[in-house]
Amino acid sequence: MPRVILHVDMDAFFASIEQRDHPEFRGKPVIVGSPADQRGVVCAASYEARKFKVRSAMPSRTAAKLCPHGIFVRPRMEIYRAESVLIMEILRSFTPLVERMSVDEAYLDLSEMGDAVELAREIKRRIKDERGLTSSIGVSSNKFLAKLGSGFQKPDGLTVIRDEEKVEFLKPLPVGSINGVGPVTAQALQAKGIQTIGELQNTTLDLGTIVGSFAETLKQRALGIDDRPVDLSDERKSISAETTFLNDTDHRPTLRAALKEMARDVAQTLDTEGVAALTVQVKVRYSDFTTFTRQIRLQEPVTTAREIYHLACFLLAKNQLVKQPLRLLGIGLSTLVPPTRDQFLLSF
Amino acid sequence: MKFTISKESLQQALNQVQHVVSTRTTLAILSNVLLRARDGVLELTTTDLDVGVTCTVPCEVTEDGATTLPARRLATIIRELPAAEIDISVDEKNYASIRSGPSFFKVVGLTSEEFPALPRFDEAREFSLPQAVMRDCLRKTSYAISTDETRYVLNGILFSFKNNALTMVATDGRRLAMVEQEVEFPQSQEIDIIVPTKAVNELARLCGDTGEVIIRVTGSQVGFDLGDSLLISKLIDGNYPNYRQVIPGEAKERIVLERETFQRAIGRVSLLASDKSNSVKFQFTEGQVEIIASSPDIGEARETIAINYKGKDITIAFNPEFTMAPLRNLSADEITLHLIDEISPGVIRTGTNFLYVLMPMRVNS
Repeated sequence: MPRVILHVDMDAFFASIEQRDHPEFRGKPVIVGSPADQRGVVCAASYEARKFKVRSAMPSRTAAKLCPHGIFVRPRMEIYRAESVLIMEILRSFTPLVERMSVDEAYLDLSEMGDAVELAREIKRRIKDERGLTSSIGVSSNKFLAKLGSGFQKPDGLTVIRDEEKVEFLKPLPVGSINGVGPVTAQALQAKGIQTIGELQNTTLDLGTIVGSFAETLKQRALGIDDRPVDLSDERKSISAETTFLNDTDHRPTLRAALKEMARDVAQTLDTEGVAALTVQVKVRYSDFTTFTRQIRLQEPVTTAREIYHLACFLLAKNQLVKQPLRLLGIGLSTLVPPTRDQFLLSF
Repeated sequence: MKFTISKESLQQALNQVQHVVSTRTTLAILSNVLLRARDGVLELTTTDLDVGVTCTVPCEVTEDGATTLPARRLATIIRELPAAEIDISVDEKNYASIRSGPSFFKVVGLTSEEFPALPRFDEAREFSLPQAVMRDCLRKTSYAISTDETRYVLNGILFSFKNNALTMVATDGRRLAMVEQEVEFPQSQEIDIIVPTKAVNELARLCGDTGEVIIRVTGSQVGFDLGDSLLISKLIDGNYPNYRQVIPGEAKERIVLERETFQRAIGRVSLLASDKSNSVKFQFTEGQVEIIASSPDIGEARETIAINYKGKDITIAFNPEFTMAPLRNLSADEITLHLIDEISPGVIRTGTNFLYVLMPMRVNS
């Protein structure tokens, strides 16, 4: 009995919220992110802005060149987070089997729930009616295909990929459609004459020599197979914060101030989520965009901004990461665990 | 340079210095041992720039000189040599010829001029105590040193010279070991230093049963002079936490325990402590302590020891490894365990000069 999995993906989530809340932005290219004359990047772009090839993670200055009439809006993360909570509530009213992937996407397991396509329409309608936002949904027998489906006819799309037609459906798609196949892997496959998923389905090449341990998964995905369950442990896997500087800098007081600010941010999130972290990571990006991350696994979980700040400083110093000016600096926390310690500590 | 030496003494000397050899590959000469022969003595020196060891052994010198040879390789060769006597001669290109019985080795060395000089200890504070005492103090504390490199001031032992006593302290934030020893010195010499783990380990290896160790301290270095060997180390730069404040005051319960019996029982019970919690419960009731480890997915172990206990019932949990570590390194037949309640630190004491503060773990009911 095949499963029924939905992938619900909000359309241009941040930008759509801005357009909903500011009627004067509707129908116009809205770019959520850093101002056009400053450093920093685009967080989200409305579909009108995407026509100008504005994409998220692109430097704001580049976006401004591509789309000179774009309306640049500072992100209002608190609003987006609150909106996300309300949307997840709508999804959970259909089934408790909801895996939240990020603020604007989630998987639902609707196996044995009846007409999944009708339910998907109902989900879209309720999000539209209650929240004034559009979403795209993919309906299929596993996560991989459901996600492929939600991205297939954006915005406001609904794509059903039936089990019996999945192999045909995948055939013409480029290999890059498979989650995990980035530009590098795609290029490596292309060098062996594999451009479409169909070519991947039929290949007799030893994929292990091209993509290593990913070969088995890759072959399965090409055939539309994905056994990953909808993960209900509604836990955050990581918490992070990063800062792009107005000008590349190695000025220690500036870096320390930025680290302190970010440590406070992530510590606050830890507190809100009621967790502690066993892994602390720093991320640096230099002027030429090369990026490094370094992390440390701790014996005792950290919870406070002070501890996180000190560990971040330690990682930067130990790995000598500030030998040249930084464009970006970030802190990440992972291996999130309950904040209780079994071992009491000496108080000094 | 040319000398004749007994295999046994050269092997012993190499054993004393070879642990310091640098693992860094950037400076090739730090993998070498400096050999200097003069006045009927062979002097061997190794350093990794943080810690350095020099050791002298008598030998028959026929030509003074110095060279450096790869330390690990030399130690392996010497260990395998077939005869009791070894002849070593080194030419001006630093090629060492090693002869012993029928064996001959030619080893390529590096010039001694490139070997970094060890720091000197003029104008140093000076303290002296018996080597056997020093070794005992190291043994009673070093297991508690923190390996958490983010708390570098804890990556060593605090040597606090104050009020005519040497107090040595090691802690990792969960337990703290402290030993005090009377040492005579003028008040003007008082000082706190933190000796890094590597130097602690080398010092423990070098201390013998007899003789004194003279400790010399300058601003950033410490030297331990043991007569025929000398250990030099950089000090850890920083302030050691105020350890006195974590030592509990008055204890409610003082429980006398047979050290070995207690240690062995914990060892057995801890076999069923889960890796995740790694905690063992101690239930003190009148006349006995029951040691319990249990985890739903592994099973349960219990052992009861009859003790002289008349206090209130206490159930307290400790990490078994942290509880056994001091017991293993003490020699007294009996120890005293001081308890206040299940969330306050327990203290293990022997005699008047040793104490071990151990933070409990959450008791899972």
